[in-house]
Amino acid sequence: MKLNNIELTFDNFADEMAKLKNEKHFDYLVTIIGEDFGEEGLGCIYILENTESHERCSTKVIAKQIGEEYVIPSVLKLWNAANLLEREVFDFLGIKFLGHPDMRRLFLRNDFVGYPLRKDFDMSPENNKFPETDEPESDFTSEWNLDAHGNLVETKHRLFEEDEFVVNLGPNHPSTHGVLRLQTVLDGETIKHVYPHLGYIHRGMEKMMESMTYPQTLALTDRLNYLCAMHHRHALVGVIEEAMGIELSERIKYIRTIMDELQRIDNHLLFLGTAAQDMGALTAFLYCMRDREHVLNVMEETTGGRLIQNYYRIGGVQDDIDPNFVENTKKLCKYLRPMVQEYLDVFGDNVITHNRFEGVGPMGLEDCINYAVTGPAGRAAGWHNDVRKNHPYDLYDKVEWKEITLTGADSMDRYMVHIHEIYQSLDIIEQLIDNIPEGEYYIKQKPIIKVPEGQWFFSVEGGAGEFGVYLDSRGDKSPYRLKMRPMGLTLTGAFDKMLKGQKIADLVTTGATIDFVIPDLDR
Amino acid sequence: MFDFSIVTKWFDALLTQTLGLSSFWSILIECVVVGVLILTAYALIAIALIFMERKVCAYFQCRLGPMRVGPWGIFQVFADVVKMLIKEIFTVDKADKLLYCIAPFLVIVASVGTFSFLPWNKGAHILDFNVGVFMITAISSIGVLGVFLAGWGSNNKYSVISAMRGAVMMISYEMSLGLCLISSVVVTGTMQVSGIVEAQNSAWLIFQNPFVWIAFLIFLISGNAEANRGPFDLAEAESELTAGYHTEYSGMGFGFYYLAEYLNLFVISGIAATVFLGGWMPLHISGLDSFNNVMDLIPGVVWFFGKAFFVVWLLMWVKWTYPRLRIDQILKLEWKYLMPLMLLVLVLITTFEALV
Amino acid sequence: MENKDKSYFQGIADGMKTLATGLKITLKEYFTPKSTEQYPENRKTTLHVSKRHRGRLVFKRVTEQDLADSKIQARGLQLGDYKCTACTMCEKSCPNDTIKITSHMEENPETGRKKKVLDDYQYDLGDCMFCQLCVNACNFDAIEFTNDFENAVFDRSKLVLHLDKEVYKGGSLPNLIDGGAPLEIGKFNTKTK
Repeated sequence: MKLNNIELTFDNFADEMAKLKNEKHFDYLVTIIGEDFGEEGLGCIYILENTESHERCSTKVIAKQIGEEYVIPSVLKLWNAANLLEREVFDFLGIKFLGHPDMRRLFLRNDFVGYPLRKDFDMSPENNKFPETDEPESDFTSEWNLDAHGNLVETKHRLFEEDEFVVNLGPNHPSTHGVLRLQTVLDGETIKHVYPHLGYIHRGMEKMMESMTYPQTLALTDRLNYLCAMHHRHALVGVIEEAMGIELSERIKYIRTIMDELQRIDNHLLFLGTAAQDMGALTAFLYCMRDREHVLNVMEETTGGRLIQNYYRIGGVQDDIDPNFVENTKKLCKYLRPMVQEYLDVFGDNVITHNRFEGVGPMGLEDCINYAVTGPAGRAAGWHNDVRKNHPYDLYDKVEWKEITLTGADSMDRYMVHIHEIYQSLDIIEQLIDNIPEGEYYIKQKPIIKVPEGQWFFSVEGGAGEFGVYLDSRGDKSPYRLKMRPMGLTLTGAFDKMLKGQKIADLVTTGATIDFVIPDLDR
Repeated sequence: MFDFSIVTKWFDALLTQTLGLSSFWSILIECVVVGVLILTAYALIAIALIFMERKVCAYFQCRLGPMRVGPWGIFQVFADVVKMLIKEIFTVDKADKLLYCIAPFLVIVASVGTFSFLPWNKGAHILDFNVGVFMITAISSIGVLGVFLAGWGSNNKYSVISAMRGAVMMISYEMSLGLCLISSVVVTGTMQVSGIVEAQNSAWLIFQNPFVWIAFLIFLISGNAEANRGPFDLAEAESELTAGYHTEYSGMGFGFYYLAEYLNLFVISGIAATVFLGGWMPLHISGLDSFNNVMDLIPGVVWFFGKAFFVVWLLMWVKWTYPRLRIDQILKLEWKYLMPLMLLVLVLITTFEALV
Repeated sequence: MENKDKSYFQGIADGMKTLATGLKITLKEYFTPKSTEQYPENRKTTLHVSKRHRGRLVFKRVTEQDLADSKIQARGLQLGDYKCTACTMCEKSCPNDTIKITSHMEENPETGRKKKVLDDYQYDLGDCMFCQLCVNACNFDAIEFTNDFENAVFDRSKLVLHLDKEVYKGGSLPNLIDGGAPLEIGKFNTKTK
């Protein structure tokens, strides 16, 4: 969607945002985009959604400058999802959010100098040497506020008491699915707090993309959540195509829909497997991996990749589908249906699994929306948040399928949503696979792709939630600012809320069923 | 049926009479020989078990398992043993050195101790007290100490949590384990291991009393927990606590835990086979004398190993099927389900014995 | 263990049933065909690698069919020549600076027209992220990715390839370029022969 920002000022910002949420029911904060607007200064764009009508709007506010510092009032009290999002903006642009109790860096090291997404950031290699010392870490967080005279005042908060038992789960830990560090405050086996520390695989993709041409940016998206390579690239390709006004042929849409669903099956199979493995059921894990192999084989014959698919490009797809693709996909669908029951038999329906999953990591509908827990985790609480239904792209409004929502709001239902979604994906594929129309698989573009001026946001339903890409173009061959809404970031932000009072084993369970992948949330 | 005591008597006579050694020297030599035999058997069985675990687990998981070291991968475990022996042994800086160092030995001592109680064949048992069953439970509980000290001594937060879990779980499950053994004592009327086997001459224990079946199943479950194996492996739950109490051990320190884990599996299976499945006693069906004679032709040691490895296979099947339980669920299972059930079964078994 | 709407014993019985189902499934799988493919034992026999898999970049050579193409004829290329014109489109499109092209200008003595001639086409496999942008950028169909994936070497410098100097003959495995052994979805070939 092309953004028509509601322009707000520093003074009316807090009131207007509260009105948007409370009166106009914009209760889902999709993402916060921090941007250096150049002449205008630093600022933020907030993308909001009304969860009843699925209408979206965006607001823009320019930060107020106080001395050297830039400040914006925090919206944390309205949307809890803002917690990590505002920290991210602070990390990259140095905008301090007034009233946010935890203004620490999120991705970069605490001793990092400067704010990389500011346009005046010094990129010279001499000033950006790789640090060889340990990262200094404080047990305190900072809260910034304005006093009566308009000066910035800092308040310190303790993360945990001196004598509390703190265990760092990660950054290298078998069940964090990557390099996530969860600083966990324990009372015996019971969890008191979980503080996520991110950035161990932060690659600065958004910064890199600002100096890349549009086709080059595509290559990076596959390296986000490597289980949803197609979805990530789809979102980026989608936003560029929308901005350029490219009309796709029916064949491209068919291929993209099928590939997206194959990728979803791939992701969900791995999810079912790793969920089982985190519970100690290695056998169930290997059954899923065995069948995932077939999905990957089908995709690889066409795309040439298994993790890094590299298939979509601006204006179409990389290559036409493989001659055996239709036949292989049909075989796969036939093979996979009975196998899903096998996972349930060996793991999902097991009484031990039910005991481990039920009531674990609970998060109800209201909190899910407030914390922006999208994807299967949100749908397990009954939130109709599937982007494919709410903002259909490609053929999702033409095929028949059901959006799976359950009401348990716990790990068990998160697991079951994945099971049901595999069936739905198979349904979608089977409806399309026989009817792929003839046509162009790639619509030829100019050698140098330039996107007209403007701001766009386009999102797709990834395997673990909504994946959106915001693009601010100034008419160049590279994006002026490109921001991705990762699937996992808000999920991680909800951890503390979900796990308070639960057992340490439940942290692993919740982490397993919430389905985050670290390269995606670190970017 | 071949009686192994002929061999032991011959050897004793060789030392005392033919060589004319005093009873002190002959007993010393006998102890050394038996000790060496035990340790060799211990190591060999561990290697066999590790290989078996890998292949069995692979087959349950649609894999082939190790295939590359030697034909069908049979030398894989030897390669691993060599690797483990030549690994550097390091200690943690701020560990409690004494506890850290003795913990693996406690575990291995408990494991070898209980291992020595297994009756291999008629007349071939190393330790055979009149309170044998009692001693088995006593010695096996030393292993808990090893787990607990290792976790505490390592100065590692994961290890401490794991040690707590391990200790709580193993102490709890000793309860129903002991009750299962008592039920067999009730039926056979003796606590001596050889006596228990002899008492199953007419029929194995599970065929003598229908309620013993339940005791047998509970024994397998709680034995699995005692051996720290899935679905009760939460002390070393690798997805939560990396490796649990032995996170900080390397080389043979870790090797001891690894060995003990597999041997405990074998010991539990061996005791189950001895107490409930008749140990080395062949399958006898009263009234079918010719059948019994044919069965007697198969040596007792084959019977024993056959039964023990069958039980091992059963436990592996269970381990590679189920997910892990949570600590409170494990304790709930023991105290709310298994223990009361076992008490009830004990009453039923005794009543049955009194009536029949 | 007990469910609220079920009685205590009903709960236990249902729980036991699910446990038995699990055991049944694993026992069934114990005897079904396995899924391990035995690489490297199968590398010359039952190995399948997708034709489109991106293993490494190679120069395309002029084939018999190409000779019929008027553009190729116009450039005066012979059978087996590479098609690269040193236009550096691929070099510019590469996000990692994987490709480095050196060339010089040469004057054709007959026509007097100046033409770029390729001196060296250096491709660093160790830096490549297999994004296929170079292939997309090439207007002369001069480069392509092959599925030859056995690229491991002991020294990083050996990964720096000079594509114009080598004549690529299809890699280390027979028939691999065509995909190797046939692939059937839903089945694994665990054999080595």
